[in-house]
Amino acid sequence: MDIAFLKLLGIVILTAPLGGALVCGALGPRRLKDRTHWASIFGVGAAAAAALALLTQVVGAVRTSQTSGHEAGGSHVSATIPVYDWIATGARPSASPPVAAPIKGLPREDARLPHAPMELSSPSWFRVEFLVDPLSAIMLATVTCIALLIVIYSRDYMRHHDHAERGYERFFAYLALFVFSMCALVLGGNFLLLYLGWEAVGLCSYLLIGFYYGKPSAAAAAKKAFLVNRVGDFGFGLGILLIYITFGTLSYHDVFDMIARNVDVTGAALDPSKLTTLALLLFCGAAGKSAQIPLYVWLPDAMEGPSPVSALIHAATMVTAGVYMIARCGAIFVHSETAMLVVAVIGGCTAIFSATIALVQTDMKRILAYSTISQLGYMFLALGVYAADSAVFHLFTHAFFKALLFLGAGSVMHAMGGVIDLRQFSGLRHALPKTCKLILIGSLALAGVPLFSGFFSKDEILHHALSVHPALGIMGLVTAALTAFYTFRMFFMAFAGPLRVPEGVHPHESGSWMILPMSLLAIGAIFAGYLGVGFVGRPFHAFLEPVFHNTFLASTLHGAHEVVAAAPAGHAGAAISTGAAAGFMAEYGLLLASGGLAILSILAAYVVYGKNPWIAATVRATAPRVYGLLWNKYYVDEAYDLALVRPLRALGRLCFWLDEYIVDGLVWLIAFVPQAMGYGARGVQRGALQGYGLAMGVGLAIVVTVVLTW
Amino acid sequence: MTAWILTLVIASPLVGAALLLLPRAENRRVIERIALWGSLVTLLLTVVAAVLFFRHPTDGGFALKLAASWLGGTGEGADLREAGNPLAGAGIDVAYRVGVDGISIWLLLLTAFLTPLALASSFTAIRERVREYYILLLLLEVGMLGVFCSLDLLLFYVFFEFTLVPLYFLIGIWGGPEKRKAANKFFIYTLGGSVLTFAGVLFTAYYAYAHGAGKFTLNIEELMRLARGGAFPPNVQWWVFLALAAGFAIKVPLFPLHTWLPLAHTEAPTAGSVILAGVLLKLGTYGFCRLSIPLLPDASRAWAPALAVLAIAGIIYTALAAWVQRDVKKLIAYSSVSHLGFCILGLFSMKLAGMNGAVMYMVNHGLSTGALFLVVGCVYERYHTREFDKLGGLARRMPVAAFFLIVFTLSSIGLPGLNGFVGEFLVLLGAATSNQVTDGLAAGPLGFSYAAAAAVGIILGAVYMLYMCGRVLFGPLVEPAHTPDTSHGLSHDLTRREVGILAPIALACLLLGVYPKPMLSSIQSAAQANVFQPIEVRQASAGALGDAAPFVAMGSEIGIPMLAVAQQEGPPATVAAGADDLEWVTSARFVPQEHDSP
Repeated sequence: MDIAFLKLLGIVILTAPLGGALVCGALGPRRLKDRTHWASIFGVGAAAAAALALLTQVVGAVRTSQTSGHEAGGSHVSATIPVYDWIATGARPSASPPVAAPIKGLPREDARLPHAPMELSSPSWFRVEFLVDPLSAIMLATVTCIALLIVIYSRDYMRHHDHAERGYERFFAYLALFVFSMCALVLGGNFLLLYLGWEAVGLCSYLLIGFYYGKPSAAAAAKKAFLVNRVGDFGFGLGILLIYITFGTLSYHDVFDMIARNVDVTGAALDPSKLTTLALLLFCGAAGKSAQIPLYVWLPDAMEGPSPVSALIHAATMVTAGVYMIARCGAIFVHSETAMLVVAVIGGCTAIFSATIALVQTDMKRILAYSTISQLGYMFLALGVYAADSAVFHLFTHAFFKALLFLGAGSVMHAMGGVIDLRQFSGLRHALPKTCKLILIGSLALAGVPLFSGFFSKDEILHHALSVHPALGIMGLVTAALTAFYTFRMFFMAFAGPLRVPEGVHPHESGSWMILPMSLLAIGAIFAGYLGVGFVGRPFHAFLEPVFHNTFLASTLHGAHEVVAAAPAGHAGAAISTGAAAGFMAEYGLLLASGGLAILSILAAYVVYGKNPWIAATVRATAPRVYGLLWNKYYVDEAYDLALVRPLRALGRLCFWLDEYIVDGLVWLIAFVPQAMGYGARGVQRGALQGYGLAMGVGLAIVVTVVLTW
Repeated sequence: MTAWILTLVIASPLVGAALLLLPRAENRRVIERIALWGSLVTLLLTVVAAVLFFRHPTDGGFALKLAASWLGGTGEGADLREAGNPLAGAGIDVAYRVGVDGISIWLLLLTAFLTPLALASSFTAIRERVREYYILLLLLEVGMLGVFCSLDLLLFYVFFEFTLVPLYFLIGIWGGPEKRKAANKFFIYTLGGSVLTFAGVLFTAYYAYAHGAGKFTLNIEELMRLARGGAFPPNVQWWVFLALAAGFAIKVPLFPLHTWLPLAHTEAPTAGSVILAGVLLKLGTYGFCRLSIPLLPDASRAWAPALAVLAIAGIIYTALAAWVQRDVKKLIAYSSVSHLGFCILGLFSMKLAGMNGAVMYMVNHGLSTGALFLVVGCVYERYHTREFDKLGGLARRMPVAAFFLIVFTLSSIGLPGLNGFVGEFLVLLGAATSNQVTDGLAAGPLGFSYAAAAAVGIILGAVYMLYMCGRVLFGPLVEPAHTPDTSHGLSHDLTRREVGILAPIALACLLLGVYPKPMLSSIQSAAQANVFQPIEVRQASAGALGDAAPFVAMGSEIGIPMLAVAQQEGPPATVAAGADDLEWVTSARFVPQEHDSP
């Protein structure tokens, strides 16, 4: 692994989409017009090629280190590559921060050696730097490849009757800008760049949700997304400041190194409660970006954006940034049992909570949105039970099948003339045969039907959850059943039954620009899961092992990995013991159970929505309150409006009133004093000569008297 | 040339203003051309000055200095009595002294950069008394450039006050319906404060004179040297700080002294608002960092928590007030108050990061808020209204204007990658790390809780700015009847001239966001040399304070009782009581040190 080459690849990954965005924006409106998509395709394509090259480099490095460094108990493959000095204040660091050798077969004992206290200076010297390791490599490859497929898909989607829609070039510029931002988020080697990418993807999300800005609902949804994210980012930003205060640096490498050595910037031992605070603050940001309770409310509304955007940003990539961040900061999280518990509980609750809402919604994209929230909940649950590799694995498989489902929904919407309400159409399998098959594949994967990718990754999470927090694991199982049910409810409502379409719509199958990317995603949705299957050696997990072996995997009995010496703080996971045989039984039992549940739920959905639609109506009629509660999404939006937005607005009005009348009034009062004195003295200066003469005489008399008597 | 360049910079708009007297008043095009070219020459000269400045590294000290005899002063350390000036005989040292350091050069550049843009933005908006208008704008530029170059307190004060006059007329003559009230309020408010400032300045010089400086000097560098030597005991500083702060806080404006600003902004013509927000408000923060902190370091520390609390209160309070405005310009005016609170917070964190952030914030705010006013001006020219209720969905009608409005909004709410973020981040970093010992500076008075409280303002900033964008740009198209007004060569969307005005600012925002290092390093060296006293210097000066040495040498300010009192957030009365106990400081004879370079 050659550092200069990696740096070059990193620069290509960032600049190619950025350049694409600039070309779209600058040349799109006048020159390129209907061909603007090429600029975006080339930009993102170059980034995808570079990301795959990066991935092969890292795969090679992991292979070498695993064969050579196995004796030392794990290997560490990561490279921090400085690019240039960005925000530079304070004294320049005397020696440039250690640039990790690309392959560092560091024996674990070395990391625990006591170190001399750091000197009392904290150079606030922030540079643009890349962190290349298996986690960032796999994320980059996923993001850029899926983005490329979606950009290709958008070429047709953003046209009607082969005429580019209004804002065609704007759309492709934003899309390429998003890819740049997301890559910056993933590739950045310090918390400041993470924050940069974090805010920049938020911006792109804002711009793309509000793409149809003429629609008030779209404009409102965009604003809501940005603001809710900002609330999370508030905590996230404070967390970053606190990291700086505690460690005197924001570089991942240095921060995690100091945690491993258990020192803070003053050289004292770390305060565990501080790490908990840190982890919880960072989690605020993750909850915002990845739409977890209580900040999930923006994601369903985000479906106002065009479907490719929902697929790319609000399903496959951006919303997983929170998962990536926690996986990246494992060193911080695993030292706090509280934080890990919070992550797990929030994840588990979000998963089941949003799955129940999805049961009754009729907007196809919103169902998928709630399903995304629910699946993200799974990923957080996995992180919370120390199974970060399973979380990333689920992130990886989810990216394929959820992007596929959203693109499928887009295809339906395209055919239905913009209508996406499931009550408006049915029996589309006749009109859209290809889309139907592709959505079926995506649904099977999402439902967790055996042999599809979602099955393997979800099952792993359930396995770990059951062994660490059984209650959360059972919640996960219930969620799995609900997931299969609502997914196929959606599928049967749209595709089963007699053909029925909204008035004036002539359904047509999408063209190959749209079908081809969906087909490629479908291949991923079927086969991506096999990268994590035990009998092929779990290559995905083995690849990620160097990233997590000191953090998540060191903290619990987990899969086939050995337990390594417990880190300074004790962990819940370490108390769990699973004998090899019992583990084997449990694992296969669970496989059967979750697979069976999925199939049963699909059958139930078929009975209710495919065959006997009256059952659903009866259920709705018998429990109108429950139905209403779910239909109105537990009234959370209304509650937020009542509890937060209105009081704040009122406070704003109060401030303005105070400003107009009290604060300004006081100032006028002060100004009035000299004026009043002037009024008082006005009587003296009436312009009457007698008065002046009198005053003069009296004054003179007084002066003379005083002088004479002195 | 090197010595004269700053004088040329200051004088060049005067030449432009004089040339404006030549053409006939009806000849609008010629007048506009002359004004624009005049200000562009100033910009060119300023760039030359900047190049000269950066070509000669000065270790942060002042450069491009020129001193000329004025009221008794001769400049470079010559014996005053030999100069044959009667005032010099009386020991008075007041001279024309100019020079720039890494802080003022950026503000100088900002001024020279914004003025031509503000001028060009007036070409279609101003049609009456055109000649007078441009003369006043150029005179205003003279005042602003002068403040940032002054190295003599009297000169500083003259320029500082001089800026009031042209702006008073600009608002009073070319303003909106309530222009008289706005102009009067602005004038009286700021004049009232700066009278106190002047009293403080004079007292500082007098105190130094009476306690051994040997002359009545208003040389800023000389006074800084004296202050480093410990010439001003803390209890004296405490009062002087209050006097100086009165003028600066009104100018900034610091909550609760801000009420003149929204009115002045709403009523001022676009160019007036741009200059007011872009440069004039910075005179206050510049005053704090050029005079208050270096001359009165102990009082600055003592007052810092109080100022920071006011700043934070202002950040949140005005952000909330901004959110409920119905007039776009008023919203941006309130946002200015909120933003300037961050500046104060950064300055009084007493940290390099905070200082860096604050100065950068000044420049950023000048660029982004100035540009926001320009965009709003473009909208106003076409629709003759700025009210939310009468406008909507303009992105459809004016996509280019919408693009710029969004870019500057993002810069203003601190999106990473644009300039606003760098300043904001460093300010918060400075405030958060203020109570640590870093970069050779003693622990400062603020801490993490201050940063956390201020960060609330960042969320609110996004709230009201996006609310504004959403109302004006998005949603269904709403336009008042008979608009857009496309007379006078305007088009529906921005004209080439308007794009030419906004594009350079957008470019500057991007550049400073991506590569702020040159700016930060020059600010930093200036801050180290001219603003803060590193611990070693404080220890050296502590030697002169005799008994106080063991306390001050601890590297923290615990040794100064009044700070200890002030940190309990007590009202000023208790602080004053604490100051009374300071016999050891007031009785200590101060020994001026020649050059105590760190």
